[in-house]
Amino acid sequence: MKDITRIIVVLTLTCVVCALFLALVSSVTAERIKDNATKNNNDAITALAPLAQRVEKTVVDSQTLYKLFDRQENLIGYAFLAQGQGYAGTIKIVAVLDSGLSTLEGIKVVESVETPGLGGRIVESFFDSQFKGLSVLPAIIALKDNPSKKNEIKTITGATISSRSVVAILNKRIETIRKALQ
Amino acid sequence: MTNLVLLFISTVLINNLVLVNFLGICPFLGVSGKLESAFGMGAAVTFVMTLATTLSWLIYHLVLDKFDILFLQYVVFILVIASLVQIVEMFVRKFSPALYQALGIYLPLITTNCAILGAALFMVSKNYGFLESVIFGFSGGVGFSLVLMIMAGIREELKFADIPKAFQGAALTLITAGLLALIFVGFSGLVSA
Amino acid sequence: MNKIIKGLWAEHPIFRQLLGMCPTLAVTTTAVNGISMGCAVIFVLTFSSLVVSLIKKIVPNQVRIAVYTVIIATFVTVVDIVFKAYFPAISKSLGPYIPLIVVNCIILGRCEAFASKHDVKSSLIDALSMGLGFTWGLLVLSSIREVLGFGTIFGLTVMPKGYDPLVVMILPAGAFITLGFLVAIMAKLEKR
Repeated sequence: MKDITRIIVVLTLTCVVCALFLALVSSVTAERIKDNATKNNNDAITALAPLAQRVEKTVVDSQTLYKLFDRQENLIGYAFLAQGQGYAGTIKIVAVLDSGLSTLEGIKVVESVETPGLGGRIVESFFDSQFKGLSVLPAIIALKDNPSKKNEIKTITGATISSRSVVAILNKRIETIRKALQ
Repeated sequence: MTNLVLLFISTVLINNLVLVNFLGICPFLGVSGKLESAFGMGAAVTFVMTLATTLSWLIYHLVLDKFDILFLQYVVFILVIASLVQIVEMFVRKFSPALYQALGIYLPLITTNCAILGAALFMVSKNYGFLESVIFGFSGGVGFSLVLMIMAGIREELKFADIPKAFQGAALTLITAGLLALIFVGFSGLVSA
Repeated sequence: MNKIIKGLWAEHPIFRQLLGMCPTLAVTTTAVNGISMGCAVIFVLTFSSLVVSLIKKIVPNQVRIAVYTVIIATFVTVVDIVFKAYFPAISKSLGPYIPLIVVNCIILGRCEAFASKHDVKSSLIDALSMGLGFTWGLLVLSSIREVLGFGTIFGLTVMPKGYDPLVVMILPAGAFITLGFLVAIMAKLEKR
């Protein structure tokens, strides 16, 4: 009987001490972890829309949409965070649309767990630069060959699924934004 | 329904836990010598993995997420798995001595099988729903068993091959696994996300 | 001295004992990832060994594995949180393989086989030796894969311009095959 008590006491103590320790570490760093994500997204928006001077937050379809204004307070575009399923896990993309909702100013994949060397290359500039100035009317199409139309991009060799996922995630989100704003 | 079938196929063949995510390599190298023991290990892992992902999903969404104590996630998951293995072992020993004879010796090894914890963590990071998580756990186990048995089959044949001394044992097993992984890359177009 | 060499060569955790295979294979796509994982493991291994060695007398035998596991999981969570807060980029590229250190057999193995039976000082030396051994193993494997698979090392281009990267080295298959050859080379060296 004494053994049992000792086992229970030691196990409980270990768990309590560990839990308290973790609660402490986590509370110290929680703010910073949150800041990292926000900073990452803000940096991406600034890089994609260098002219934006003021950002106004709105909510579209329960997700945040940022209205971007230039120095003269003209609306120059919209920035948003889109996310969805890729090949290996969730992909998060920051994208900027022009004020007419018809052309992408650019995109930046801010989070992905795609296979390094293949799907992971969606974060590289040779891929995301294709979206700069890309027409989103009609919806973006991903091709294995070189694109010929304004709304087409070329998928990464060996990573068709990841490339298509990026396009699908963007198309879906852009459509909801357009429906909500028009 | 179609979704779940596709999830099953993709978890078994395309995103195989062993060959793509490198989970469960230790038993993969250790127990793949004989087809019979590979089957036993595979069955035990499938059983525990299905239960573990189911239970972890419930705990994650009903307890950890609700009370905002996600930082305890790893501690809780590993405790869930360890106790699950214990309970399953006691249960099987009591109610099915035959099954215990077949799986018994593999059960204690499962706690430190990273495939189980891995499956639970992937389930969270991929935001699966409840039913998806159950299927994911089950198909993860099936995929593990499939690869383990293929490997065991190959290694039983390799016993008769004349292999340079340095390559005998683990080295050859790893290289064979590499070739197997290359073959499985061929499945990657099977289901598009 | 022998105690330090042990983990670095004679009982090398990766090449000799084949422990901790899952992070070894999974994160070694780039040298930076390899080093980061190595540091994370050294941290967890050292602190877990320290605590286990300190409390070895008060832990009842029947639940020692459970207690060790909780301690390890706690330190792993600390590493995970610290990486998320201060090295977000590394945290993202190592992904789920940080939490998977919990079930890395090196750590539980050393706690159970060594730290639970020895005093604090030798446990710390053992942990550091094994941890450093693990890290140099990761570094070798990840350097080979990064150079052949991306043509770079620590992100710096080292291969000539016309070099066409061998994507297979970055794929899982490349990890298995490279490690297989390294294990064979180590076996050959041992026999001399």
